Amino acid sequence: MMNLDPDTFKMPQARPFGQVDKPILRLEGIRKVYGAHVVLDDVNLTLRSGEVVAVIGPSGSGKSTLLRCINMLGPATSGRVVFGDLTIDEAASPTTQQLTHLRRSVGMVFQSFNLFPHMSVLRNVSLPQERVLGRSRKEANRRSLELLARVGLEDKADQYPARCSGGQQQRIAIARALALEPQIMLFDEPTSSLDPELGLEVLAVMQELARSGMTMIVVTHEMNFAETVSDRVIIMADGKIIEEGPSKQVMRDPQSDRAKRFLKAVKDR
Amino acid sequence: MSSEIFLGVARGIPLTLAVTVAAFVFGAVLGLPLCAMRVSKFASLRFVALGYVVLFRSIPPLLLVFVFYFGLGSGYIPMSAFQGVVLGLGLIAAANMSEIYRGALSAIHAGQWEAATALALPVRSAYLDVIAPQLLRVSLPSTAGYAVGLLKESAIASTIGIADITFNAGYIARMTYQGLPVFAIAAFFYIMISLPIAALARATDKKLRARLAL
Repeated sequence: MMNLDPDTFKMPQARPFGQVDKPILRLEGIRKVYGAHVVLDDVNLTLRSGEVVAVIGPSGSGKSTLLRCINMLGPATSGRVVFGDLTIDEAASPTTQQLTHLRRSVGMVFQSFNLFPHMSVLRNVSLPQERVLGRSRKEANRRSLELLARVGLEDKADQYPARCSGGQQQRIAIARALALEPQIMLFDEPTSSLDPELGLEVLAVMQELARSGMTMIVVTHEMNFAETVSDRVIIMADGKIIEEGPSKQVMRDPQSDRAKRFLKAVKDR
Repeated sequence: MSSEIFLGVARGIPLTLAVTVAAFVFGAVLGLPLCAMRVSKFASLRFVALGYVVLFRSIPPLLLVFVFYFGLGSGYIPMSAFQGVVLGLGLIAAANMSEIYRGALSAIHAGQWEAATALALPVRSAYLDVIAPQLLRVSLPSTAGYAVGLLKESAIASTIGIADITFNAGYIARMTYQGLPVFAIAAFFYIMISLPIAALARATDKKLRARLAL
């Protein structure tokens, strides 16, 4: 577990639970089974616009699987995702149009970055804008450079991803996702494959993003981030949400035994 | 005399190259849809592609070329000797190239598909912009090795009267009764064509590897 250095990280202005806007995303009865194994067991979740939700819990509790149900990267066995006017039944096959609409509105950042290794950093960020939003090369590049500057990497534009550190690659991946102007950002353990120092620079970008009002769901093992940056914490175990509420409250005073056990395990190391 | 032999055998180089390049391009292009079928989610497509690969990898290339040129070519589908050998070798190359592509495909990290999907890239773009360039990159060493193999296999063309290196060497050897030097010269030409292919592939591979860390 890492500590955020107070000199590097000013505490964000806390946005108290409930002071956020209308629902932007609703997950209803999400259930996912592999054979006899229940990975997600009737998960319900409402996300308000501008809200930052941290999802924590032991490995194998279904956190990442839940994230993948939201953008249909790994559809659930049953349940519904309601995003604005769009309702997607996880069990049915959505149309390509629905999927495109959903995915361009919901950006995703992976644990393993998944930059395209054969393209320059700039091309990585520009290509999706051209192919998905229909922007011209020039327009896309201009936007890409703005975003790379925002994550502090405009000088890396002409490099290949292999020439960048893990932390830099993850910041580029964030810029790439932001380039499609998403309304929600999903982070799937964005710092888990980084050493603590490099993780910090990614967390700093995420913190800036949270403060700018982006709606975010962050699956993470960074307890400090969960407590200080997110508005709400969800603790999952065995495919269920076992505890949720305002971040500080959940992190400091969990109610269920399972949540207490988990938090004790991660805090006492 | 020996310079005449040298030049005589050398006259076969263009046709050797033509047969090799044509069969290779045929196979490299046809191998892509074949590979796509091989990993398709539809069992019937997978089955057809598997059948194709097993069939064309089990038949001796010489026999297949005979089947096309002497079999189909004599009456059913008129074709030139060049067409016959390119068709025969090309169909076999397609089977082999599809297997090379399939191996390369499994080397591409699943996260590449996931990123393309999560970014809502159209399927066409995911294939052409993201997967295909990496596929060609990863398969480069095996592809170059196969191209060299095909160069040598192209000597089959000589059996149906195409005046390639081997054909010319055989002809001159019979005319001059100097089998050893003549065929040694032919071998020299094959080596001199193979080496640059291998060297170029190695250099390109090294360059891309350094740049992309792939």
